[in-house]
Amino acid sequence: MRAGQLSRDAFRVLLTGSGLRVKTGPFNLSIRTRLPQLIDQLYRMYAHYSLMGEAEIAEFHVRVISRCSIRRPFARLIQFEVDGRSPFPPVPAEQALATLEWGINLAIAMRINHLLLFHSAAVERNGHVLLLPAWPGSGKTTLCTALIHRGYRLFSDEFGLMDPQSGAFFPLPRLMPLKNRSIEVIRDYLPEAVLGPEIPGTLKGTVAHVRPPQESIRRTDETAQSRWIVFPKWSTGAALQLEPLPRSEAFLLLASNAFNYELLGETAFNAVTHLVRNCECRKLVYSDFDSVLAALDALTDMPADMN
Amino acid sequence: MDHWQVHGFSSLRIENWDGEFTVFQPESGKTHFLNEMGLQVLIMLGQSPVTLEGLCQKLSEYFTLLPDTQFPEQIARTLQRFEALGLIVRVKESA
Repeated sequence: MRAGQLSRDAFRVLLTGSGLRVKTGPFNLSIRTRLPQLIDQLYRMYAHYSLMGEAEIAEFHVRVISRCSIRRPFARLIQFEVDGRSPFPPVPAEQALATLEWGINLAIAMRINHLLLFHSAAVERNGHVLLLPAWPGSGKTTLCTALIHRGYRLFSDEFGLMDPQSGAFFPLPRLMPLKNRSIEVIRDYLPEAVLGPEIPGTLKGTVAHVRPPQESIRRTDETAQSRWIVFPKWSTGAALQLEPLPRSEAFLLLASNAFNYELLGETAFNAVTHLVRNCECRKLVYSDFDSVLAALDALTDMPADMN
Repeated sequence: MDHWQVHGFSSLRIENWDGEFTVFQPESGKTHFLNEMGLQVLIMLGQSPVTLEGLCQKLSEYFTLLPDTQFPEQIARTLQRFEALGLIVRVKESA
């Protein structure tokens, strides 16, 4: 059963009571909150997620609660908790959705060490994963949003989740936070994209989340091997460049932007070596969606022996 | 005079990327990125303890380098860096 098949009232009862228990990729998540505005937002944005079975265990128990502040007695503040701990200070109540999403990402990044976690967008086309590793501000969420509305299946805009033994990537289709100018850019280019409310004043500026396509969430158990690694960089007015990247450089960039590379030690070294040896590596500079979509379509359409 | 040698050479994992190398050091859990010269320094110091002068001579022969007064300084800096990274150690002459 999907969360969106619940009545709004049943959805609210779960969130305010035992918890809304949903499956997000390889993880199960229990969410609780009594904030009416957040409940409304989640009812729309989490509609496609499957509810967990009764017998399944949630890896993450998260909660968003109201907070009072002596310094700011009239401010409406909220706080995010994961398993009873608060990794962030209280923030204005309007930022509840953004804080919840960042909090869940933080919990994944801090706790998941049986998988190698690349800081990377990941999408699938023609049965293989296209990894888009990038530092914050490189535009990977924006590019990922364009791709998943043009035939690519969303794995994640934030994490490349790789089983270091098998090399398989796991989908983790979660809400994708567009920031600042990207919001308007996506509204213009993809009017069909479902966006959450614009949330101003966060640490990253104004944020609006993209709801993952239903098809990507439905296929959340379908893993895939990676075949392409493309390091993207959005640059105003730049002509499209999609050029080969030396594998040594790809190795360094991937290893240095993985959340738990050092923690996993030799396992991670072996996994990144195997990944880079078996993928086509490119660096990408782009400034418009039409040209970058055409270039990435061509790359991912090419038979393996012609890349 | 200081001699140098690689600390646990046999345990290093070395991958060749078309003439550039990633070296994983299990003891520290660190991955190092080396060019051909850096890798040869490790290989030569992995065979037996060597002085700076001896190492420079071996490298000059291996890479057929012309005499260069700055070369020993460059290699000395490389040794200091490798020592700081825990890749090599100084050993007594009698070792």
